[in-house]
Amino acid sequence: MTAPGAAIRIRNVSHHFGEEGDPQRVVALRDATLEVARGELLCLIGPSGCGKSTLLNIAGGLVAPSEGTVEIGEMRVRGPLPREVAYVFQESALFPWSTVAENVKLGMLFQGVPEAEREARAESALEAVGLAEFAQHFPDQLSGGMRQRAALARALSLQTEILLMDEPFGALDEQTRMILGEDLSVLLAEHRKSIIFVTHSLGEAAFLADRVAVFSARPGTIKKIIEVDEPHPRRPAFVTSAKFHALRDELYSLLHDEIRKTVSESALARASRDGAAADAGG
Amino acid sequence: MAGRPEGSAGAVIASRAVQIGFLISAVALWHLATVRGSVSPLLLPRPDAVLRELIDVLATGEFLGDLGVTLGELAAAFALSAAGGLAAGYLISRSRYWIEVFEPLLAGAYSIPIILFLPLYILLFGLGPASKIALGATISFFPIAMNTIAGFGSVEKIHIVAARSMGCSQYQLFRRVLVPAALPVIATGLRMGFTVALLAILGSETISSLSGLGHRIVHLAENMHMARMFAYIAFAVAIAVVLNVVATLLEERGKRS
Amino acid sequence: MRTLHSLRSPGASRLWVVLALLGVWEIAARGFVDKMFLSPPSRVFSSLDAVLRTPGVPEALVITLWELGAAFALSVALGLAIGLAVGLPRFSRRSFLPIVLLLYGMPQITILPLFILYFGIGPASKIAFGVSHGVFPVIVTVAAGVQNVKPILLLAARSMGASRAQVFRRVILPHMIPSFFAGMRFAMSATLLGVLLAELYVSSAGIGHFTTLFTQNLDPTRLLGLVALLAAMAIVLNGIVRRAEVKTGRFRSA
Repeated sequence: MTAPGAAIRIRNVSHHFGEEGDPQRVVALRDATLEVARGELLCLIGPSGCGKSTLLNIAGGLVAPSEGTVEIGEMRVRGPLPREVAYVFQESALFPWSTVAENVKLGMLFQGVPEAEREARAESALEAVGLAEFAQHFPDQLSGGMRQRAALARALSLQTEILLMDEPFGALDEQTRMILGEDLSVLLAEHRKSIIFVTHSLGEAAFLADRVAVFSARPGTIKKIIEVDEPHPRRPAFVTSAKFHALRDELYSLLHDEIRKTVSESALARASRDGAAADAGG
Repeated sequence: MAGRPEGSAGAVIASRAVQIGFLISAVALWHLATVRGSVSPLLLPRPDAVLRELIDVLATGEFLGDLGVTLGELAAAFALSAAGGLAAGYLISRSRYWIEVFEPLLAGAYSIPIILFLPLYILLFGLGPASKIALGATISFFPIAMNTIAGFGSVEKIHIVAARSMGCSQYQLFRRVLVPAALPVIATGLRMGFTVALLAILGSETISSLSGLGHRIVHLAENMHMARMFAYIAFAVAIAVVLNVVATLLEERGKRS
Repeated sequence: MRTLHSLRSPGASRLWVVLALLGVWEIAARGFVDKMFLSPPSRVFSSLDAVLRTPGVPEALVITLWELGAAFALSVALGLAIGLAVGLPRFSRRSFLPIVLLLYGMPQITILPLFILYFGIGPASKIAFGVSHGVFPVIVTVAAGVQNVKPILLLAARSMGASRAQVFRRVILPHMIPSFFAGMRFAMSATLLGVLLAELYVSSAGIGHFTTLFTQNLDPTRLLGLVALLAAMAIVLNGIVRRAEVKTGRFRSA
């Protein structure tokens, strides 16, 4: 039964790529159970290949899980739900042949929103992310950070309750990430969406999340869920607070071993293996 | 994601099957139209008639004369254009400035259909092989020269500097650094020149000639010897394919060395 | 325009090279080659009006121009349709594209006499041969252009609820446009080749009639003039297609 405050309810989701007996079969996710409360920002963090992006795609209905169910509202998710869920991807998913404004209006066009309303919503979305002046520019004329703002504007214009963000700032430099993170926090305080935010960055998770779900290495399961008790919008000074540091440290200790497990052939491992072989042959 | 993976054996077999099926139905249609249907043999000869003529052409060695002419023209034209193109290309590539001057000129000249100059060459050299060789050499000069310029011109400066710093002579630089670095692109240019020379020669033999494979086909067309003409067309295409395969293999060797 | 360096700029040198070549031509034609076989550029260009006053030449030129236009338009339209049909569905691409490529590589000059036999000595055969040449680059570039759309763009469209038709119209089609215009550029060169080959081959009518006439009459002045006019036509047509490509090539690929 879906709890009244939950926007997304993920239950016992497992997912594998490839069939039984296929030598390239990969178990991406193992038995993930999670709820995203209305209006919260939940971060998914974990080593590469731990299935967090897969879980995101399953949550939004882009991928059908091998096992388990996802519910949004009262509905079982069986496919993309463009009216409930909007995505922001890592790389530029803006169409290079259209202007920023046209890009932002595109999603609404797919959903049959009338022209005048498309214009209005696009304009306000671009205002919200600070790109109003660049509406007629093309994506290749913008910096990486601005492109991601545009992608965010596109997602916001769809006026969905849920926002799924797959490492949206992953391709950006640290300073841009910082600014965008702060701006995102301000935006969320106003718009109160339910967000799943996938990231690699410990600092980003600590800064943005209401809760952080830490994943283990592949096959990914949820190792621990940490609560962050700090209201949005997060002040920039939060980053220097003791609470933030404690949070970061906890995430680090949870993740470090998982990350090591993922990088299987580390230099040290190789060196010790070769050393052993040399000793044996010597 | 759902859907059959790209390289699955079933999909490959299925597409091969479609291709073979396409070929078979084309031939079948040809047979039906000419044997059962009402298509005049003056328009489309029967497939078995074509086959018979082809065997006859091959068995009697009738093709030898024309093939010899065509191949001779091709060899002469390519020798000329290769020598000219390589030399010109190398010389131009010696200086950035001259590259900038000549590259657009060459590209521009190549963009005109040079076949237009055939009547001129016929006026100058007559209807014999000389005009075909001249045209073939002219057209194939361009891809060879342009690729040679590109090949030599794009040798990384760092290699040249490194070789110089080790005290190599100009000749050694040429042989040990420039040529190996430029060879893949030049090989491609030579292959393109060869292909284009063959087409130019067949084209000029078709338009205006007294001998050669192109001329033979025209001659048969004018006399309405349809089956034999089709046989020669098939033969000429086969020759072109073989020559192109050989050229491509040589190009691959050049690219790999 | 940089005036200070203009004398040494590559553009100026190019001009000098062209002038030098014209100069060599002029001297060779006046001094070394029999005037039955070669005519100097000065005489050729001053006699261009004589060429145009030769009865039948302007008509032949105009007809050739129409043939080129028609063949090009047909090549593009047919090529686009076939390219989409072959390139979009994955199975179709794997089965039929190799067949198309095979035909593309065939030396079509060998069947030029067939085209004339089937379509006659009038414009129809020239247009047909032109289309036969021009259609292939369009098919190949269109088929290539509808593939390799960045998967993330397709995913984004799907996530926003786009129907298949919308994905085609809003993602695949715009993605294909640069390839399509490049294909048109090749199609123009190919069409030029096909139409001119056919024209030159038919010596009883059209351009081929006059090239044969001027050759047989040992009239290099008018022959060169005619060739120059055709070359100019080719340059202009190529230029038009290239400008169109540049103008629509607004966006660079992502």
